[in-house]
Amino acid sequence: MSNVINAQHLTLAYDGGAKEIIKDASFTIKKGEFVFITGPSGSGKSTLLKALYGALKPTEGSLVVGGLDLASVGQSKLQELRTHLGIIFQDYKLVNEWSVAKNVVLPLMIAGYSVDVQNTQAQRLLKHVKLSEHADKYPLELSGGEQQRVGVARALSKNPVVILADEPTGNLDDYSSNVIWDLMENACQQLDTTVLVVTHKIPTIFSLPYRHFIIESKGVYEVH
Amino acid sequence: MKFIKNHLMFILPLMAILLGIEFYLVFDRTTNSYEKGLKEGYSMLVVTKKPMKLSMFQALNRHISSSEKIKRENIVSEIAKGVSKNSNKEILAALPYFYNVRLDSYLSTSGLEKIKTDLEKDKNVKKVETFGSSYSSSYRLFSFIKFTLKLFIVFMGVVSLFLIIKQMEIWKYAHKERMQVMEIFGAPLMLRSGVLFRVAIVDAFLATLLTTAIFLYIKFQWAANSGIDIMMQNKTELFKMTDIAILLVSALFIVIIAVYSVVFSSKGVEE
Ligand SMILES: Nc1ncnc2c1ncn2[C@@H]1O[C@H](COP(=O)(O)OP(=O)(O)OP(=O)(O)O)[C@@H](O)[C@H]1O
Ligand SMILES: [Mg+2]
Repeated sequence: MSNVINAQHLTLAYDGGAKEIIKDASFTIKKGEFVFITGPSGSGKSTLLKALYGALKPTEGSLVVGGLDLASVGQSKLQELRTHLGIIFQDYKLVNEWSVAKNVVLPLMIAGYSVDVQNTQAQRLLKHVKLSEHADKYPLELSGGEQQRVGVARALSKNPVVILADEPTGNLDDYSSNVIWDLMENACQQLDTTVLVVTHKIPTIFSLPYRHFIIESKGVYEVH
Repeated sequence: MKFIKNHLMFILPLMAILLGIEFYLVFDRTTNSYEKGLKEGYSMLVVTKKPMKLSMFQALNRHISSSEKIKRENIVSEIAKGVSKNSNKEILAALPYFYNVRLDSYLSTSGLEKIKTDLEKDKNVKKVETFGSSYSSSYRLFSFIKFTLKLFIVFMGVVSLFLIIKQMEIWKYAHKERMQVMEIFGAPLMLRSGVLFRVAIVDAFLATLLTTAIFLYIKFQWAANSGIDIMMQNKTELFKMTDIAILLVSALFIVIIAVYSVVFSSKGVEE
């Protein structure tokens, strides 16, 4: 099976290279794999995801996602790649002046799907994350956990090739968390989606095989 | 309320620029005919011993565009009323020749003096009267007004441009979050900035419409009833329908430049 993600001697830093977060990390992730990433607060988990969706260029080494070398990729190729990613942010990053339903179908809107398709998909996805009755509300009218689930629904709306999730259950109770884990498991199992999830707590009930990476003192290590 | 204020903050400076452009156009048109009138109304008087043709004058100075002989018979008949026909002829023979000489362009006082000395080089030319002082005072006043107005329009334009950029920065702040989220999900530039373009283009149309309305009012209400001759005579010059196109194109040009500057400066999601 082919590598969806390939990092070789990857170094990530802020402030023009002065502030190193990850140093000389090498790992590969294959299509359809499910990966949990854990690590102490401030260790660089979000930073790694940021690099994976091309918002932070590698300082050194190479990072290839979906066949594109992110160190040198051009704007239009990166744009194309991003339409195949389903990103869930730690801070949700919803568009506050849009309704919940509109937020959810942003990836479909970008892909140019008709309004009808967008509406049906919005209904279906919001049902999945148990937010059907909130479709016409605005993000700031929802609780933190509800906003988080809107973010999850948005990431899943266009059946992405890769899901990059940053603490997708960070604000959720066990019941809601399990709803989210089920959705991700389904995507991985049925659509062969590659899933990377940053979390501080790997779910106790999890039916799929998974890999586990730890980020610690600038390194990325796999737990076997 | 905030919405209206946001638009006004953009439309008003845009209108200031459009008004400036339109004032400039109108001023240029009305004064062109005024300038033409000044130029055509002006002539110098040349007194010669023998008759001279236009080409002879033009050989002396190339700015001369026409010469018109003043009928001496009229002069003689005025000064020699009741004198016999014979002496009438003698007077006529003793009189020099008079010419009204016109120029091809509007010249400064020194330009007029140059023509005078050029003409006086010819032995045939007895005297040249340029009427320079009255000519140059109206010319100078005219140039001064024209210069001041242009300066004012340019100044107003620059100030307005700053206001537009300022407002654009506020927009940029208001739209930044959404544009960044859309960018992370791979939206192309046009989709990301679509709302900005729509708003800006609507504002450009509104500003053009309001400016047009102001000028149409000036043309059909104020100028027509003002009692100011130059306004009433030049009514057609005040606002032409083609000006709408000029204003609209200018407005669109300004807002598109403004939006592009915002869109490109909010590029990149790296914090
Ligand atoms: N834009 C930035 N500029 C400079 N430093 C940053 C920036 N973003 C994050 N950092 C720093 O990089 C380090 C790693 O941050 P990151 O957000 O990746 O941590 P994290 O592992 O996701 O932590 P948490 O579990 O708390 O979310 C931190 O020390 C943080 O201060
Ligand atoms: Mg984080």
